[in-house]
Amino acid sequence: MLDHLSLMVLHALLISVFFSFLWKRDGQERWRYFLKVFGALVIGAILLGWAMYPFPRG
Amino acid sequence: MPEQKRPIGMSLPLPVLMGLAWLVPGLGHVLLGRKLRAAVFFIVIVVGFLMGIVFDGELMVPHAGDPLSYLATVASVGNGVLFFITRAVGLGQGVVTAAAYEFGNTFLLTAGMMNLLLVLDTHDIATGKKDW
Repeated sequence: MLDHLSLMVLHALLISVFFSFLWKRDGQERWRYFLKVFGALVIGAILLGWAMYPFPRG
Repeated sequence: MPEQKRPIGMSLPLPVLMGLAWLVPGLGHVLLGRKLRAAVFFIVIVVGFLMGIVFDGELMVPHAGDPLSYLATVASVGNGVLFFITRAVGLGQGVVTAAAYEFGNTFLLTAGMMNLLLVLDTHDIATGKKDW
């Protein structure tokens, strides 16, 4: 079974591919947009995880 | 000059085209002649949906006293025929105690929302607001 990080990366991958094909017309534009969205989702989630580190549940 | 073949989707009434786009992910784009994009959208949505089912996600239906379940239902039903087939065969009930339950839900809900966005995209292409 995939761990949570892998699932999050896979989810980010699907979302990035979808929006790059939905919103961008040519190949180069799509690649740039894909990398931007994918990076923002993955790095953003990791940064958010660290930002929440001082506030453990319970 | 060779005559350009008009995509079949352009001759369909708009509500019918949008209904077909909702039922099968990517079908609206196929009917409008956008085959590459249709294939990508189909793969992304079906993979997302299957991941949601494999990871014990729940295809939401309205629960009394839970207003958010109505919004989640819209997103779930957004998966079109995938939703109905999966419910009909008894899958997608969700296993709340499963470790990946929330991930499964996320995959299912985002797949449905993406499909609903495709319906709007189909509308924009068919009405000429988007020319590609």
